[in-house]
Amino acid sequence: MGRYLARRFAASIITAVLASIVVFLIVRAVPGDVVAQMLGQTSDPASTQSLRAFFGLDQPVWTQYGRWIGAALQGDFGISWTGGRPVSMMVVDAFLVTLEIALLTLVLATVVGVPLGLLSGIYEGTWPDTLIQTFNLLGLAAPVFWTGLMLLVLVSSALGWSPPLVYAAPGESLADNLAILFLPILALGLLQAAAYSQFVRQNVVSALHQDYVRTAIAKGVPARIVFFKHILRNIAIPLVTFMGLMLTQILGGVVIVESLFAIPGLGRLLLTAIQTRDYPVLQGALLVVVIAAMLVNLGVDLLYRVIDPRVRLA
Amino acid sequence: MAQADTASLPQALPPWHRLVRTARREPAMAGGVLVLALLCLVAAVPGLFAGQSPYAIDVANALQPPSAAHLFGTDDTGRDIFARVIHGTRMTLAICASALLIAAVIGGIGGTVSGFFGGWIDQGLGRLIDVVLSFPPIILGVIVTGVLGPETSNLILALSVIYLPVFFRIARSGAVGEVGKTYVEAARCLGLPEATILRRHVLRNVLPLVLMQYIVQFPLVLQIQAALGFLGLGVQPPTPDWGAILQQGKDAILLAPWISLFPGLAVLITAFALMLTGRALQRSVDRR
Repeated sequence: MGRYLARRFAASIITAVLASIVVFLIVRAVPGDVVAQMLGQTSDPASTQSLRAFFGLDQPVWTQYGRWIGAALQGDFGISWTGGRPVSMMVVDAFLVTLEIALLTLVLATVVGVPLGLLSGIYEGTWPDTLIQTFNLLGLAAPVFWTGLMLLVLVSSALGWSPPLVYAAPGESLADNLAILFLPILALGLLQAAAYSQFVRQNVVSALHQDYVRTAIAKGVPARIVFFKHILRNIAIPLVTFMGLMLTQILGGVVIVESLFAIPGLGRLLLTAIQTRDYPVLQGALLVVVIAAMLVNLGVDLLYRVIDPRVRLA
Repeated sequence: MAQADTASLPQALPPWHRLVRTARREPAMAGGVLVLALLCLVAAVPGLFAGQSPYAIDVANALQPPSAAHLFGTDDTGRDIFARVIHGTRMTLAICASALLIAAVIGGIGGTVSGFFGGWIDQGLGRLIDVVLSFPPIILGVIVTGVLGPETSNLILALSVIYLPVFFRIARSGAVGEVGKTYVEAARCLGLPEATILRRHVLRNVLPLVLMQYIVQFPLVLQIQAALGFLGLGVQPPTPDWGAILQQGKDAILLAPWISLFPGLAVLITAFALMLTGRALQRSVDRR
């Protein structure tokens, strides 16, 4: 276990470092840096030069990267070029917001998706199955931001209610916080529930056609016991794996719903940083997203091995 | 073997008859293919379906709800949403199709080469793909289009970068499977050069896998394309494109929800039809 863990971890770190280099280079490969944006068209060469020196942009790219990654390893992501706040603080604040949305979405998707998937898998080929599968396909086909917009229209025209415009942290007012997060979580959660339900259905259906299930039914084991003891236990592992996959999916989807509902999470931080060419914020936020996704994958992989004693570390 | 006998029968029937039989056996796929055919027709000759111009500004009739004159209503400058959705079909589908094609060609060839030769080529390319995969897809799209600037060519580039790893992995696993087979060994014994074996045998066997992924991935590309358009990182106004219309409708969402409703429905219906078709194809491949 220890050796496997170490190797898996090392591979993740190499990927993360390569990803950080890629990010660093993409951001700098493009014309129009923060200085050009600040000074506009009418800048004189002298002030451009001094501002570029101030931001360290006159140094070779590798020197810039070395400085950045060295400080980042100590938790210092620099200072935002547009707001003056420490990037680490901005990223942590935004990450907590995004994490709240992601976890609540995951809960919603699981609570809705798993029962639906079990139901349609068990009643394969009957009308409840057709109904649930239609929901699944529609959920997979619908764009998330559009679903969010339509839910907003629906809720505001039917109930005359619309979410508060100013974001409130859960510490300030839990009610306001949940009110503003309600629609984005509903939109994201329903669509992920569709994906989860479809996945659960596939697993149940294929388990139902396995020999051990047929044998259990043939020898007269009660249906309930076949379901809980034989089927559910065997599909538990892929279901857990899928939750990890969903969490990384949600991390991506959050970018869009955040910008739609004006929620100050990682997604909006990234978008604003791109628009203002605020390199330190962009790099910091991206690195956090990449590492978060990587940790989720690593976690799932380990969990997989804990749940299933058959999977021994290769 | 009674089934094999009846299966050989349709050969003698006229082609349209066989088509009807297939449609009856797979009604979902028939529906999907029909919708896709209609979409292709709309993309090819949009003027046939929408009489009005997608660019004509008519401020007197701004923000009109759907009516007989404007089936899908009008936007904040009085442009006809129906005409914009119809004329946007070509742009939207062309962007997705070309981005996927680039991803399929580069990813497919890269994956096949990687799987066929193995060794350090495989290691290096695999690492590279891991790096791309470490970014959530939409975030990758946002970075590429956001940093390079919202232009159609950059949008296509971003989408193809996102989907390249999918094709790479499929082609690689296909190639790894083929390399071990006896026909490759036989070809080697005959003294065929490696490049010829790769091109003439392995690539040809990997191709169906890649083609299948093209259809399976298309609805997902469509959604990301629309999402980037919605964020203002896609096709720029006034060019009609589903994502761009959605972006434009966002600010007037409570005032004029029809601006957003219809282009979103267009994405939904197209993705739905593609998924039905893809699933049916997958089933028929699995059966064989």
